[in-house]
Amino acid sequence: MSIVEQYRTKVKELLSSGQVKMVIGYGAGTTPDRRRPLFMRSPEDADKMLLDNACIANLSGYLVSEGLLSDEKRVAIMLRPEGVRSINILAAESQLKAEQIVIVGFDTAGEELRAIEGSEAKDFCALIDSLKESAPLQAPDPLFERIVQMSPQERFNYWQEEFSKCIKCYACRQSCPMCYCRRCIVDSNQPQWINTSSHTLGNFEWNIVRAFHLAGRCVACGNCDRSCPVNIPLRFINRRMGMEVLEVFDHFPGMSESQEPVLASFKKDDPETFIL
Amino acid sequence: MTRILFADKLDNCLERWRSAGISVIGPVKKSNSSGYSAVTKAAEFDFNLVLPERSIKELFFPQSEPLMRYEIKKQEINTSEFKAPTSERIIFGVRPCDAAGLAIDDPLFGWDYQDEYWFQRRRETVLVTIACTKADDFCMCTSLKLTPDSEKGSDILLRPLENNSGWQVEELTDRGREAFKIIADLLQESQEKAAPTAVVEEKFDLEAALAWLKEPENFESHFWKEISMRCIGCGSCTFLCPTCHCFDIQDEGDTYSGIRRKNWDSCSFALFTMHTSGHNPRSTQSARWRQRIMHKFNYFPGKFNLNSCSGCGRCSRQCPVDMGITETLQELSKLLR
Repeated sequence: MSIVEQYRTKVKELLSSGQVKMVIGYGAGTTPDRRRPLFMRSPEDADKMLLDNACIANLSGYLVSEGLLSDEKRVAIMLRPEGVRSINILAAESQLKAEQIVIVGFDTAGEELRAIEGSEAKDFCALIDSLKESAPLQAPDPLFERIVQMSPQERFNYWQEEFSKCIKCYACRQSCPMCYCRRCIVDSNQPQWINTSSHTLGNFEWNIVRAFHLAGRCVACGNCDRSCPVNIPLRFINRRMGMEVLEVFDHFPGMSESQEPVLASFKKDDPETFIL
Repeated sequence: MTRILFADKLDNCLERWRSAGISVIGPVKKSNSSGYSAVTKAAEFDFNLVLPERSIKELFFPQSEPLMRYEIKKQEINTSEFKAPTSERIIFGVRPCDAAGLAIDDPLFGWDYQDEYWFQRRRETVLVTIACTKADDFCMCTSLKLTPDSEKGSDILLRPLENNSGWQVEELTDRGREAFKIIADLLQESQEKAAPTAVVEEKFDLEAALAWLKEPENFESHFWKEISMRCIGCGSCTFLCPTCHCFDIQDEGDTYSGIRRKNWDSCSFALFTMHTSGHNPRSTQSARWRQRIMHKFNYFPGKFNLNSCSGCGRCSRQCPVDMGITETLQELSKLLR
């Protein structure tokens, strides 16, 4: 039995036995290379499910939208390893209970599809540990290397040009599992903290606010980057922040549901040498 | 015999128009993103794009436009108005759906008051449209009763030649004729044939969809929840849409001085209808998606006898979760009334 068929059977079991009320996965999209999120509620829905290397989007954000989990019923979701990390962060930040989420794990390497054993976030700890080890060795990206090599002025100019394209549609925010704030700072308008205008200053404000808020929380799933309708290479910003946090705090986000958020927790014995 | 503009004359045309004080804008791809931008050399045009990613709307209705500067002093309040910049311009290489989009929004911007920011730019712009010889999976102009060589909204319609060496010229308006008078001697009479226009299949039954939307009880239909389950509530579809026109007025600055601006806004955003009290009449994403469809295909036609969609397909093409008007109207036209 192929992995897809195995997983279809698994989804049918989960739904027909009443273990979960819904399975979030992938279905066919408008074009052959597109996949779209699929919400399966009855066993027959599983026949529409697809699983292959085009299933890239991290779907975990749906779990925390519009009260899906408020009835305490379990929900299953198809996730790559970085999606499992998102679940851990959401649990660590008290946005969901990890045991309410049944994980159907998978990964792809090139064309090959791989099933990952486990059904709850905690079952994936060993896998995520190994990801932390290999994190600094991520596949090099020529553009990323070029940006790192730039002088601060060159880099500023580079991002100024990229941000000038921003239309503030907030697709980056809406597609990000970590952007679950009930009211984003840019939407807080009494007073209006951040300019809503999409001029140079406004675009910088927005993108920098987001970069800082995601530092130590981003799992590099790439949702923001793929969602951007004007193709700003947003992944580089978060990747750079992620490297910084790993280096300075030895923090790799999403290791477990009990991992403390690096920039939102403190220790009494912290030497605090950075405070003047 | 038809008049032809050969592509190798394009640089001369740009020069002529520039000398006449007319700036030229066209489809351009830069920093990995495409839109309509200023062009000084013919080589900068990208006529191979099926459609630029950003629509033409921003050239008439910018994403952020200053309206007024204010200054409050002890004894006086000073205000000064910003006017739309005046400059004659030609947009060369417009797609028919983008030109039609502007024509769709004209009645809206001229309805209860004349929006001078819009109409000043409309008066000063000549739209030179190029008929489509290519389409992609998301194009849907024919579903909206338009065509890949629709004249709606255009001043000049160009038809690409079979051998791709230039365009047949069809002058549609006096404004177009004026602009092409400047380059009249650069055009040549020729027998060259035009390439066939793109084939765009009809993707949904518009009449059936419109009829369903008109039924008041369908406002509360479960359909809305089902179709919009995966909508993440970003503004990508509305901001890329050539006809979406909602905006928000914002004062930037402080109590004593600042600038009042008109910024794009989107019905997809939760904040769009949020009341000061905290109550939100469109509290769910499905209510917001319903509003977008109802506005385009029920309220707008009710008021202006026009659908607020020209079939460019950007909403589906660039949607992060592969939603869009096409899918919704396809599904909706299958529903029983």
